[in-house]
Amino acid sequence: MSTLIIIDHPPYGSWDGREALDMAFSLAAFDQPVSLLFCGAGVNWLRKGQDAMKVQQKSIERNLAAAPIFGVEALLADSNACGRYGLAETDLLEHATITDFGPELTGRYDHVAFAG
Amino acid sequence: MSSSLPEQTKTPAPAGVFTLVITGAPYSSQAPQTALQFAHAVLAAGKRIDRVFLYGDGVHLASSLSTPPSDELNLSEAWSRFLTENAIPGVACIASALRRGLVDESEMQRYELSASNLRAPFEIGGLGEWVDSAASESRVLYFHKGG
Repeated sequence: MSTLIIIDHPPYGSWDGREALDMAFSLAAFDQPVSLLFCGAGVNWLRKGQDAMKVQQKSIERNLAAAPIFGVEALLADSNACGRYGLAETDLLEHATITDFGPELTGRYDHVAFAG
Repeated sequence: MSSSLPEQTKTPAPAGVFTLVITGAPYSSQAPQTALQFAHAVLAAGKRIDRVFLYGDGVHLASSLSTPPSDELNLSEAWSRFLTENAIPGVACIASALRRGLVDESEMQRYELSASNLRAPFEIGGLGEWVDSAASESRVLYFHKGG
């Protein structure tokens, strides 16, 4: 039972994305295949060099860097959204991959869920 | 709605079992009320709900302290009655709940808090409960805040 969790909120503005990340880590902890897709303003989650000190939050960059270690299969970034935010693959975290977001992608998963 | 669309008569849950995940808070969003109406429809259609999982802001639904005006629907009470009458487990995610000040007696003691406020029959549980449903034949539906 493979799952794709989609995050379309920007980082730091709410806890929805962090809690979606916890969902992905939980699936991985129980050996369930899971990938994360970032689209819309959500692609900003994958930017390199984040510093969240000024908003007194933990940087999510470290959590995402650990995702492959915890068993999250892929960190996917929607190509349209990357274009809109001027992000090339070199601007993104090491394990992130730019991909096309559409039915061909979502059809590969048994279970697709958006972050809250 | 286009009149050419045929009415859907088959359940989208092949096994006839649904799991409802509510992430929108009562009174800030329509999510808990829409989910409750959907839940009634599921049972009326002879299908089953294996679990209701509260996540993120949805955990506020399990508060025993929400007291809306008497001429408004008390969503926490309505949900708790529905779960009790139909013997459906209601689980609030522990991490979401503790972050938002929703605790049962054992968490109250563990963190030496002054009160607990979890409404029966809701229980506090881990994301493993949701994983259990997601990995099963159950159809998992999410009720978000929208907008």
